[in-house]
Amino acid sequence: MAADTIYDAIVIGSGISGGWAAKELCEKGLKTIVLERGRNVVHIKDYPTMNLAPWELPHRGALSRQVLKENPLISKAAGYGEDTMHFFVKDRDHPYVQAKPFDWIRGYQVGGKSIIWGRACQRWSKHEFVAPEKLGYGMNWPITYDDVAPWYSHVEKFIGVCGNADHLEAMPDGEFLPPFDFNCAEKHLRDSLLARYGDRYVVQGRWAHLSQPKEIHLQQGRGTCQARNLCMRGCPFGGYFSSNASTLPWAAKTGNLTVRPDSVVHSIIYDQSKGKATGVRVIDAHTHAVTEYQSRIVFVNASALNTNLILLNSTSNRFPHGLGNDSGVLGKYICHHNYRTGASGRLDGFEDKYFYGKNPTECILVNFRNVGKQDADADFVGGYTTFTGGYRERGEPTQVERVGGVYKESLTKPGPWGVYMYMQGETIPRATNTVTLHPTQKDQWGIPLLVTSVGYDDNSERMIRDWLKQANDMLSAAGCKNIESHDNHQAPGLDIHEMGGARMGSDPKTSMLNKWNQLHACPNVFVTDGACMTSTGNQSPSILYMTLTARAVDHATQEMSRQNL
Amino acid sequence: MNRREAVKTATAVVGGVLVTTNGFLIACTRDSNKPTGKVLSVEDQSLIEDIADTLLPTTPNSPGAKAAGAGAAINLLLTDCYEPADQERVVNGLKQFRDTVGDHFASMSQVNREDWLRRIDAEAKAAGDKHYFNLVRELALQAYFSSEIGMTKALRYVMTPGRWVGCVPLQPGQPAWA
Repeated sequence: MAADTIYDAIVIGSGISGGWAAKELCEKGLKTIVLERGRNVVHIKDYPTMNLAPWELPHRGALSRQVLKENPLISKAAGYGEDTMHFFVKDRDHPYVQAKPFDWIRGYQVGGKSIIWGRACQRWSKHEFVAPEKLGYGMNWPITYDDVAPWYSHVEKFIGVCGNADHLEAMPDGEFLPPFDFNCAEKHLRDSLLARYGDRYVVQGRWAHLSQPKEIHLQQGRGTCQARNLCMRGCPFGGYFSSNASTLPWAAKTGNLTVRPDSVVHSIIYDQSKGKATGVRVIDAHTHAVTEYQSRIVFVNASALNTNLILLNSTSNRFPHGLGNDSGVLGKYICHHNYRTGASGRLDGFEDKYFYGKNPTECILVNFRNVGKQDADADFVGGYTTFTGGYRERGEPTQVERVGGVYKESLTKPGPWGVYMYMQGETIPRATNTVTLHPTQKDQWGIPLLVTSVGYDDNSERMIRDWLKQANDMLSAAGCKNIESHDNHQAPGLDIHEMGGARMGSDPKTSMLNKWNQLHACPNVFVTDGACMTSTGNQSPSILYMTLTARAVDHATQEMSRQNL
Repeated sequence: MNRREAVKTATAVVGGVLVTTNGFLIACTRDSNKPTGKVLSVEDQSLIEDIADTLLPTTPNSPGAKAAGAGAAINLLLTDCYEPADQERVVNGLKQFRDTVGDHFASMSQVNREDWLRRIDAEAKAAGDKHYFNLVRELALQAYFSSEIGMTKALRYVMTPGRWVGCVPLQPGQPAWA
């Protein structure tokens, strides 16, 4: 075997958690290869639309009929547009089978979905790790908030997270750069809800943006966020965090990093005589040539469902049902966030107030439901975070004239203010929500297609009803008029917060991973992307993946130096 | 399907519905007149730009839809981004417009043009969403306010604001942000 196929560590996937694995491993001195199934994307160089004005885009940003016809699924994704679609897969290239409706949103390139992520970075509260078992709807994590808190700090300092220290139990503070300020409607909403409820807090967004970069960010070659809010095109300033702007170039500077794009991982190779994984089998995306890479440890960061797919497809005499799958848990307890509901209303007043720039963050209405206990008046379990914001429309609300100069001028004036809200709700991990391998259908690389069988449950329906009532009440309390609310009934997956399938747990009989994200039954394989999630909590998950990754790498390197791995 | 094939399909649908009308025959005879691969003929693109420029004319504050090149933008957006049924509605609508107003809309004064549009707009309001003029208005607004002139002269567009300030006083006469 050629020397260039032997490494200390293999990382499968270059997205938000894979990039972190690469950075931490390389910094610890390990020769590391990152295997990425998609094409290479180099920071700035490969952001073709980053500096285009709307009128310079072929259709002014609108999606053509042809794009929509060819991509009915992926075009539903938040952020998908004429200016960003090159960072999303095309439907025809990557089929899967929906036993139940599930929108699987993917970005196959170096950097993965970290280029096009939402960037919200709230910490989990201590309650979210224990609430499912304590309140009877799930299993405890093998770790607590205290285990991850220092690693949250480690990640926050490096990626840069703006936000305000609000001292709230349901959403702990982190290492924050200055927050993006409220606009006048948001201030009004915050004050109104606090006055009406006493314990409902609207706080400034905690987003992975460099509102005021520190030395560590400048060293990454990143600069101040310019408030363009064109993030998903890739940022020429490195104003928000992505693997491409941050972790991957940082890892490369160590001299220990190799990134191999166009490398579709088929499976992880298990050696029964050694009792551990010895490497990874890769199919070249274009030539279909097969290469096997060897390493002492493997980090699986292929994105939640692809990590499940790879583990399920990594079969051996020892593991006939997928690598490390003695428990039969692999591919089960797939969960996600409930994003079905939104509400908005018009807010009169503030006509003499405006804003400057484009705020790339949103305000957070911190979870106030079932925080560490079951609310007496809640007929559902779990909590919800609500994202909210104030906006000012363009154009006077009613036009006296509908033709001519007066009409045109009326359309160019700032319009009324409004407030919107939408829910990010916890869902219950259920054994019946699964991903499996299709018995016969395969993709163009001969890998079985993934079958998704994930649905909402009654608890989600009850949570939706509660949120809609609360949102209407809160918008009323803020004095909003013309309040509208909706349940869009979108399929699971469109939240792009799919999680689980290889959950962490203390008991190998009911979980796949231990408290260090190692496969119980194959400890030199670490899973630190969304697949590892024991429950969903109600906070945005990406920063927890990064945090668990850094923590797991630290453990892995300690174990390697002790010759345990 | 590439763009050219998309247009062919659209034409077939238009033909299927409109084969017996004069509008379709006129559209056919004008095929050689169409900007490459577009739904609207040169004459129709010119007419819709005149309509757009009447809706959104040059004012002391900013140039109008014609200066912003709204006709070509409408033709492109209509061709590539709208459904065949919508394309048909516009093509047919412009024929109807000519039947009502005559062929000399372009040479009328702005006042006369506005009068015509007010009459047609009143019809459209009464008829509801399906009236062609509502779609023509939508296209005109979309094309103008996504143009460089519309976004920078009528509205204000700053691609790289440099910073976010949440609450500032609105200056007298300040246009909306694009």
